[in-house]
Amino acid sequence: MTIAAAPLVLAVAGCGAFVLRKRLNIVGPFSLMAIAIAFALVVVNPPDATGTLLDLELRATGLGRLASAVILATLFLLVLDVWLDEPAYNFFPTALAVGATSLGVLVLTAPLAIFGVLMLGLLVPVGSFTFQVHRNRSVEAATRHFGFVALGGCLGIAALALAASLPHEQPANTFVLLVVVLVVAFALLLAAIPFHTHAALLAGEVPPSALALYFGVLVPTTFIAFVEILTLSGLLPAIVQVVKVQDLLHGIGLTSAVGGAFLASGAPDLRRLVTYSVISNLGAALVGIATLSGPGIIGALASVIVTGASASGQLLAAGTLERRSAPERPTARKAPLAALAFVVGGFALIGAPPLLGFPGRFFMELIAYQFAPLTGAALVLATLLLIVGQLRAVLALFGSGVERWALEPRPVAGIIGAVIFVALLIGGIQPDGFLRPIASFADEFLRALRPL
Amino acid sequence: MIALGIVALATLAANGSRQLRYSAVALLGVSLAANVVTAGQLSVTQLAVEGCGALVACGILYVAARDRTYGEDPGWRLWLATIVAAAATAACFATLRTASSETVTVPLIGEDPSGVTAQVAAFWLISSGVAILVTAQTPVRGSLGALLMITGVELLVRLLTVPQLGLSLVFGWVEVVIALAGGFLIVNERVVREN
Repeated sequence: MTIAAAPLVLAVAGCGAFVLRKRLNIVGPFSLMAIAIAFALVVVNPPDATGTLLDLELRATGLGRLASAVILATLFLLVLDVWLDEPAYNFFPTALAVGATSLGVLVLTAPLAIFGVLMLGLLVPVGSFTFQVHRNRSVEAATRHFGFVALGGCLGIAALALAASLPHEQPANTFVLLVVVLVVAFALLLAAIPFHTHAALLAGEVPPSALALYFGVLVPTTFIAFVEILTLSGLLPAIVQVVKVQDLLHGIGLTSAVGGAFLASGAPDLRRLVTYSVISNLGAALVGIATLSGPGIIGALASVIVTGASASGQLLAAGTLERRSAPERPTARKAPLAALAFVVGGFALIGAPPLLGFPGRFFMELIAYQFAPLTGAALVLATLLLIVGQLRAVLALFGSGVERWALEPRPVAGIIGAVIFVALLIGGIQPDGFLRPIASFADEFLRALRPL
Repeated sequence: MIALGIVALATLAANGSRQLRYSAVALLGVSLAANVVTAGQLSVTQLAVEGCGALVACGILYVAARDRTYGEDPGWRLWLATIVAAAATAACFATLRTASSETVTVPLIGEDPSGVTAQVAAFWLISSGVAILVTAQTPVRGSLGALLMITGVELLVRLLTVPQLGLSLVFGWVEVVIALAGGFLIVNERVVREN
C-alpha cells in the first residue's frame, strides 16, 4: 500500500483542491504541501518495492522513482508560479490530478491499467485549457485535444487488449496491424508530426501554465508509458522480428524530429517555439527507441525527462514575457530575468553541454549514426534547426537592447527558470545518478526484447 | 444475440438523435446491453462498477444538455458513420477476431462463451465511435463518439483472462472523466455559441 501512497495522497488532495479552488490563498499552499508530501513518500519508498492495490500489481522501479521525482518537482514549480504570478483557480486541482495519474502510470505494471490511467491524466487538463472563452479559441483547442486523446487512447487500449488475447497461431499480419495501431495511437497522444494539429492549436490558445502542465509533465509521462507498455506487454520479441514496425517507429520519429525542428526554426512566437521544440525532441527520442539498443533507449528517456523540465521553465518564462509586454511583442526590457530564464531553458532543450540534456542527445545521435548515417545526419540537422529557432528568439527578446538591468517586480518565472537551470547544470556535471536508473530500465527493455 | 441487436440499434439512435438528452438515454441503453452481452464473464461487483460508470457518464451528458432541445443535427454524418462502422466491423471481425473457438455458435438468448458476440459488439462500438469522433464538429458528437469507443474497449478488456476488478474500476473512471470533460466542453461551447 505504501507504494501507492504518493498517487493516492495527490488524488485525495486534488479532490480537496477542487473544493477549495476559489480560495487562492488556501489552495496554493495546500497544493504545494500535497506535492511535497508526495515527493517525500516517493523518496522514502524503497527501490524495487512491490505491492498490490485491488488486483493490480505495483512496482517502484528506479526509472519510476526518478521520473516521479522530476515530475513532482516540475509540478511544484508550476503550482508555485500559478499561485504567486498567474492566478487560475482551475489549475490547482488539475495539477494534483495530473500528478496522481502520472505517478500511478509509473508504479503500475499492467499495460492496460497503465494506458487507462494515462488516458485519465491526459483528459483532466481539458478543464484548465479553456479560459476567457469569449475572447479566444481555447474551447476549440480543448475540444480538439479531447478528440485526439479519446481517439488515441481508445484505439491503443483496444489494440493492446486484442494483442493480449491473440492465439499463438495467429498470422503475422494481424499482429503487425495491431502494433501499428498501438504506435499510431501513441503518436496521436504524443502529438508527433503529422498528428500535431491539436498541439499547434493548444500552443496558440491556452494559458502558458496549462501548456507547461501538458508539455512538461504529461507528454514525458506518455512517452515513458509507451516504453513501459512495450516492455511489459510482451510485444517486443515479435516487434524485433517484424522489421515493418521498427521502420514505422523510425519514420514517425524522423518526421517528427525534423518537421518539429523546421516548424520551431520559423515559429512566430515563443510558445510555439517551445511546443515545436518539444515535438522535435520527442521525435528524436522515438528514433532512439526505434534503434532497439541500450544507448538509444537511455538517450531517449534521458532526453524526454530533461525536455519536460526545461520546456516547463521556458513556457512559464514565455507567459510572463507575454503578460509584461502586452500588447506589444515580448521583449527582455519588460522582464529581463524571465527573458534570461527563457534563453537558458533553450540551452537545455537543445541539449547543449554541460547541461543534463547533453548526454541524452549525444547517445541518441551517436546510435542513430551507427543505425544509419542518414538518420544520424537528420537528427543533427534537427538540432541545428532548433538552435536557429532559439537564436531567433534570443534576437527577438534582446535585439532592441535592455536599457537597465533591474529585476522585474515578482520575478517568479525568472527564479523558477534559474532553479531549473541550476538543477540541470548540477545534473549535467554529475550525470551518473540520473542515468543509472535509466540504464537499469534499458537492461530490462533489452531482456524483454530477447527473452531467454 | 438479442443484446447485440440492442447495442446496434441503441448506437444508431444515439448517433441519429438531434437532441443531446436523447443521445444520453440511448447511450445508457448501449451500456446496459453491452453489460448484458458479457454478463457471464464478470462478477456482480465488476458489473456494478462498470454499470455505475455508465450511469454516471450518461447522467453527466444529460445534465450538460441543460434543456431537451440542445444538441447537434448529425445530417450526412449519420450515414457516413453508419456505413463506415458497418464496413469496419466486418473488416475487423475478419482480420482481428481472436475468439478461440473455430465453430461459431451464437445463442439467441443467454451467455455466449465463445465471446464472438462481445467482439462483434466491441468492433461495432469502436468503429462507430471513430467515425463519429473523426467527423464531429462540436463537443456534443465528440463526447458521444468517445463514450461509444470506451464502451467498446471495455467489452474487449472483459474478454481477457486477467484479474478484472482493478481494470473495471480504471475504465469506469475513464468513462466518467470522458463524460465530465465532454460535458465541460459542451457547456463552454454553448456559452461561446450563445454570445
